Amino acid sequence: MAGDIHRIYPYNTPMRAAVDPKSVRTVWISTLGGTVVWLAAIFLAPWLAGRGSGSAARFVYAVFSPVCHQIPDRCFFLFGHPLAVCGRCLGIYAGFAAGLVLYPFVRGFARIALPAARLFVLLTLPLAFDAVAGILGLWRSPIGVRFATGLVWGTILPFYFVTGVADFFRLRKERAASRALEQAPQKKVE
Amino acid sequence: MNPQKPEYLRPALIAGAVAGLLSGLPFIGAGNCICCLWIVGGAAVAAKLLAAGTPVLLKAGDGAVVGALTGIVAAVVDAIISIPLRSFNLGLAQRIIDKATELGGEMPAGLDQIFNGSSGMLSPGWFLLSLFVTAAVFTVMGVLGGIIGIALFGKKGLPPAPSARVAPPPPPPGPSDAA
Repeated sequence: MAGDIHRIYPYNTPMRAAVDPKSVRTVWISTLGGTVVWLAAIFLAPWLAGRGSGSAARFVYAVFSPVCHQIPDRCFFLFGHPLAVCGRCLGIYAGFAAGLVLYPFVRGFARIALPAARLFVLLTLPLAFDAVAGILGLWRSPIGVRFATGLVWGTILPFYFVTGVADFFRLRKERAASRALEQAPQKKVE
Repeated sequence: MNPQKPEYLRPALIAGAVAGLLSGLPFIGAGNCICCLWIVGGAAVAAKLLAAGTPVLLKAGDGAVVGALTGIVAAVVDAIISIPLRSFNLGLAQRIIDKATELGGEMPAGLDQIFNGSSGMLSPGWFLLSLFVTAAVFTVMGVLGGIIGIALFGKKGLPPAPSARVAPPPPPPGPSDAA
């Protein structure tokens, strides 16, 4: 019904009848493409370094430098060179990719809904504990543990990202339609 | 009905400025190495500020917008702050990498050339390229943080509209009303 489009749902329930599945699918595909490129670049850096392309490798490492410390001791190695990000970051991005693959089966494209806050907190706890314990010097986790905690957290992130971006486009259409309605000349009924 | 558009800019400016400041400072800026803590956290705070200052119920798309703006502001502030602190940050990074290599690690390829060739010198072209790349990355991280912020801090619902309440029946006519 037309009235359903303007009904307001709390955030822990699905928003129905307000989403174009094609739009959600487009956002999902674009996000998947961007994630594949991002992951490929992480492995591209050591490959370029291994081939002797120092300048190109330097550029790729620099792209990831704002978001990762890139300390070699905490990175996986490929072709004798560290990946462009540390083990934890790689786990997050790999988990993000895994979450994207799961998205159509868990959520589908016909509706968008944000995950429950409890689930987000639950999946964040392992990473938070590991990071805080490391900062406080309580323990020094092996790279596999860092990767695993990042993977767990990264898996839920696409369910926020795809939902939010799809909802942004829906809101834009809604507001544009409302503006068009307001600007339409009022026809006088005689 | 025209859905009221929230004011995104003010929360984004406030949270983005703080996130950019934290990202640019020595030592403290390393927080971004933990899942872009300052950017994602800053965007979540921006979403909270937006939710607190907006009477309408916010959606995930609103979080995406305020988060993206927060990321852009943070990138600009970070770039501005990094200019005077660049030499110090490079020296600090060099010491970290040296310590890591002492422990048996390997310096990423070309990183030594970065430290040797760019300490204290910053070409406008490289600065702009760095700003563009940082802004792009921070924007994506900000979008994520803003959406998570709306999910965690956004209002969960509005009170029912007055029209939904059933009006009480009129009182029956009293004895004085009888014809």
